[in-house]
Amino acid sequence: MFEFVVRRILWVIPIILVVSSITFLLMHSIPGGPFDAEKALPQAIIDNLNAKYHLDDPLWKQYVDYMWGFMRFDLGPSIAYRSRTVNDILAQQWPVTGLLGLASFGIAVFFGIPLGVISAIKQNSLIDYGSMWISMLGLSIPNMAMGPLLIWIFALKLKWFPVATWGTPIHIVLPAITLGTAYMAMFARMTRASMLQVVREEYIQTARAKGVREIWVMLKHTLRNALIPVTTIAGPAFAGMMTGSMIVERIFAIPGIGKYYVTSVGNRDYPVIMATTLVFALAVVFMNMLVDISYGILDPRIRYN
Amino acid sequence: MKKIWVLGLIFTLVIGVLAVGQVKTLYWNLNTEPPSLDPNISTDTTSIQVEQALFLGLTDFDDATMAVVPELATHWENSEDGLTWTFYMRDDVVWTDGTPVTAQQVVYSVKRTLDPATGSSYAFVLWIIEGAQAYNNDEGGTADGVAVKALDDYTVEFTLIQPAGYFPSIAGMWVCRPLPQTVIEEYGDAWTNAENIVTNGAYELGEWVHEDHMILYKSATYYDVAKVNIDQIYCYMIEEASTAMTMYEAGNLDSTSPPLEDMDRVKADPVLSAELTIAPDLCTYYYGFNNEKPPFDNPLVRKAFASAIDRQNLIDYVLKGEQKPAQTFVCPGIFGHVDGVAEGIGYPYNPEAAKQFLADAGYPNGEGFPEVTLMHNTSEGHSKIAQFIGQSFMDTLNVKVNIVNQEWKVYLATCREDCPQIYRMGWCADYPDANNWVNEVFNSKSGSNYANYNSPDFDALIEQAARESDPAVRLDLYRQAETLMCDTDAGIAPIYFYTIVNLTKPYVVRTFAPLGGEHWEQWDILPH
Repeated sequence: MFEFVVRRILWVIPIILVVSSITFLLMHSIPGGPFDAEKALPQAIIDNLNAKYHLDDPLWKQYVDYMWGFMRFDLGPSIAYRSRTVNDILAQQWPVTGLLGLASFGIAVFFGIPLGVISAIKQNSLIDYGSMWISMLGLSIPNMAMGPLLIWIFALKLKWFPVATWGTPIHIVLPAITLGTAYMAMFARMTRASMLQVVREEYIQTARAKGVREIWVMLKHTLRNALIPVTTIAGPAFAGMMTGSMIVERIFAIPGIGKYYVTSVGNRDYPVIMATTLVFALAVVFMNMLVDISYGILDPRIRYN
Repeated sequence: MKKIWVLGLIFTLVIGVLAVGQVKTLYWNLNTEPPSLDPNISTDTTSIQVEQALFLGLTDFDDATMAVVPELATHWENSEDGLTWTFYMRDDVVWTDGTPVTAQQVVYSVKRTLDPATGSSYAFVLWIIEGAQAYNNDEGGTADGVAVKALDDYTVEFTLIQPAGYFPSIAGMWVCRPLPQTVIEEYGDAWTNAENIVTNGAYELGEWVHEDHMILYKSATYYDVAKVNIDQIYCYMIEEASTAMTMYEAGNLDSTSPPLEDMDRVKADPVLSAELTIAPDLCTYYYGFNNEKPPFDNPLVRKAFASAIDRQNLIDYVLKGEQKPAQTFVCPGIFGHVDGVAEGIGYPYNPEAAKQFLADAGYPNGEGFPEVTLMHNTSEGHSKIAQFIGQSFMDTLNVKVNIVNQEWKVYLATCREDCPQIYRMGWCADYPDANNWVNEVFNSKSGSNYANYNSPDFDALIEQAARESDPAVRLDLYRQAETLMCDTDAGIAPIYFYTIVNLTKPYVVRTFAPLGGEHWEQWDILPH
């Protein structure tokens, strides 16, 4: 297992090189630059700004300089937020997104998986139809509708939660539900389908024939194996939640990193585009590694070589 | 001993609660995180709003009249030849660290803006100072060669390359505000962090939680602190207009701009409509024609399109913010504004005249007219306007209009490199003088002149107006310039003048600053 982890970590190097070079080329190939504005600046001013941010260097040098900085955890200055470095932005905004992501993931897992299990156990019952209807609803209502709806009901009418902004645990509830429901629905449906498939396996019949109590058959033998596909989607889903949602953060005025994924492209804020993309790539790689490790725990047949 | 502690604690809490009860707090929405609080490099309205509260300028603007009024400078004078401006500063203004605000700090700020290494986007507004452009453009100039001098601790003198009647407006801009040199040299780019910053305005920066909120406290060292009513400004940074609207209705915000979707509801609601203010803003929305791209190189074609825009119906049914129809470029409230609608300059909506212009251009009933491209940057608001006006062109002129939108920076690159036949753009005032408009946008040498409008007569008029100091003569020159551009040549089609659409709670006594930078120090909050 140690060898497996080391090998996977070494794989990160070529992945980062590929992702960073593609991102770098793409962002420099789109028309427009960071200093284009409605009030067109004189060329001399743009030259000063390009010199300040070394955008007048050849592209290959800019890339090499960036990667050299990246290796030393120096992600450069933000061009749009001139008093802050990209390190500042990540350090100040990412923890907020991370907290929201954890809460949303918690909701998705702790409600989604039991919902799927119950539906599978009580297949074709009212409970099954009810919970699948709920999860269908969760999947089909987009965040941009769910957020304002929750605000209207629970903040404006019932006054249980604040309308928006950030700061105390109670501020997390509505955005976490908004962000978490779609994933919850996905986990519920996945768990149910997977359980129903596993339950038809012969070893489940063997367990039942041996007189194992039904609850243990379901939880120990069925669920454990049924979780493998769920875990496969949970990894990337967690990476997605940990790197933020522009829409949810915007609706609830949450000071997270999500908006930077979108605004950095609009601003042509090159160092921020690079950093956010690489952070997302690293998160996906890391989560997939955790998923692969967890396969071995869930299914003893899987070995790491 | 323990009891004393507990008693002390209770006493402090009671005093604290009592004190908090009297604190006047304004809950404000900045709309977004300010990109920077460094006046030398800021370009956006959010940063400038906060800087207005933190840093004093030599001059300021009166919200009601737009006139330049004294701030740090009590008075100023211009030499006979119009080239030298001398500003006499108050001697009782101090920084939050107790040190005096001096003329040397104005000089430092001007030179820092012009230093190429600073990379200030707005440095070009100072190029009118002698030696400034050579230094800023790295063309052999030096900081010492910039003609801004501190004659003594409280007198600062600027020498210009040509007379400029509008210079007192420039002297008050953020790029000229005195800055604390020692603090900037000590902390570098981090000098604007809440823990480092030193300011001289009515408010000081108490807390800045990025992307979340900022708290400004009334500055005890402000020279006119007795007149400041509001103790603290709690600034949210809510980008989503509908969220800000909900917070306003829930009582968490004291002021907001209602989103377009809510306008009908706001106007119909007895409470909200009483809190609604619609005031003139200093911006113009216009459609430019690429004067070099056929068939828009023909003035008759441009006149036909300018006459086919039903501005009033656009305002009533699409924009709903009581904007004013525009037939000239410079908006009301700016020195040099000409009322085109009243004076008959430019082209009002007139379908018959529009058809006639097009027929005179050789396209009777639009026959043989090539497909027209109308381009705007991607946005729901611009799209609605383009749909309305595009339909108006098609119905009135019987031409085919292809509406295209592009992402903002792609759009700007397109306008710069190969501007479409019709493009949308807007302009807002940096300082209330027509020079900031006709000269900085439509001078044939300007980078913002995407219309490729090139008229030597027009250039001569606006360049003469910039040098002239007699207001009556200047106004007449701007009238001639507007007539040439918006009427004779129909180089662009101005569409409307913006309005500020705002909801404010009835207990807030406020002013409106059309130039941006609200004067919070003049506001008050009544008991409620």
